[in-house]
Amino acid sequence: MTTTWHADPIALAAYVEGSLDDVRASSLEAHLLTCDRCRDGVATSTPADAIDRMWGGVVDTIDTPHRSAVERLLLALRVPEHLARLLMATPSLRLSWLVAEALALGFAVIAANGTSGQDEELVLFLFLVVAALLPVAGVAVAFGPGIDPTYEVAAAAPMPADRLLLIRAAAVLASSVSITALAALALPDLDAIAAAWLLPALGLTAATLALGTWVRPLVAAASVALTWVLFAAAAAVSTQDRLAAFRPAGQVACLAVIAASAAVLAHRHTLSEGRIVR
Amino acid sequence: MTVRADGDDALLLAVAQGDRQALEALYRRHAPWLLARLRRRCADPGLVEEVVQDTFVAVWQGAGRYRGTGDVPAWIWGIGIRRLIDRLRKTSPVPRSADDALVVSAEDEVLLGVEHGDLGAALGHLSPELRAVVQATVLDGLTTREAATLLGIPQGTVKTRAARARRELREVLA
Repeated sequence: MTTTWHADPIALAAYVEGSLDDVRASSLEAHLLTCDRCRDGVATSTPADAIDRMWGGVVDTIDTPHRSAVERLLLALRVPEHLARLLMATPSLRLSWLVAEALALGFAVIAANGTSGQDEELVLFLFLVVAALLPVAGVAVAFGPGIDPTYEVAAAAPMPADRLLLIRAAAVLASSVSITALAALALPDLDAIAAAWLLPALGLTAATLALGTWVRPLVAAASVALTWVLFAAAAAVSTQDRLAAFRPAGQVACLAVIAASAAVLAHRHTLSEGRIVR
Repeated sequence: MTVRADGDDALLLAVAQGDRQALEALYRRHAPWLLARLRRRCADPGLVEEVVQDTFVAVWQGAGRYRGTGDVPAWIWGIGIRRLIDRLRKTSPVPRSADDALVVSAEDEVLLGVEHGDLGAALGHLSPELRAVVQATVLDGLTTREAATLLGIPQGTVKTRAARARRELREVLA
């Protein structure tokens, strides 16, 4: 159907103003869906500032980066916006990383459930050693050039480097401890030993952060991990008890490491003479 | 229906490929009438402006989903009116005075001549409440539930008013 009818400018202006009567307005609305010329008429009667203002709003929304579900959750928990963004940029808080952690522990748990006697103790030993190392690995890849996509941004940000380090380490620790705790619940013959990885995990993470005063996180984490594995193996061999490193004496040693690391972290600035290695 | 939307189709295609200028052209062309039309259905100017913004953000994100079914202005209107209803569903219904009451119609062809025909007079006879229901369900093409949200009345009331409006129109036109 070809239309030759067009609304007169006065009616269009009245429509935009909202003063056109109902029946004529309906008629016009149906016509506007098909008529460029009358749409232009409406446009010329509409204040340009309203149109420009709304366009600004559209552009703002389009340019705002999409927020992930986790980031929205953090914001809902009243985490400040800049902190949430910094946390979300942490490589070891990515879903892929967390899934990898869960899978690694999951296989250990499945292995532990499928064995008995001596073998079971060996699997438990491996589970505990790995569980204590997970947050260390997370901290190691939480920062640094080539790993952290926001490294350059963070280096130039008006936020102390060690504060970012501690915030991210805390988040990494919290996420891997929760995942490990869930995995530990699925261990066979659940007893106190299933939680024996917790203090070592805290101790190793603290030691990594403390070492980070002098070397890059990756180097610090590698040194700590190697020391830990050697220590756990040596304790097992020398005492004929595979879980020796996780008995009360080992736990006390972990507490001592945590205390020493905390002391180093507290005096980080003096110890590194103001040069924080990242 | 004349196809006067060639330009719109081409613009929408460009928008689907991420062309910001095409979006702006589409916006400059269609935001004014969308703003005016939504304003007649909602008394809160701030809310209407947000809905217009939402609509074009949705066009930006969903341009690829436009299948060329029906013309672009109708597609944009469909997004706009549903965004308005979503907003109204979240907030409490905006109180509306009788003057604001919504308008009526049947189909485009009838409406183009409505100023001179009997139908115009017949619609004029309906009470504002009945006209609002006829407009929402017939001209705006809303479901009973959507119309109920837009008008801030129960769904049952929408149905009874629509039936009454039909009956009254039939009597006047007979």
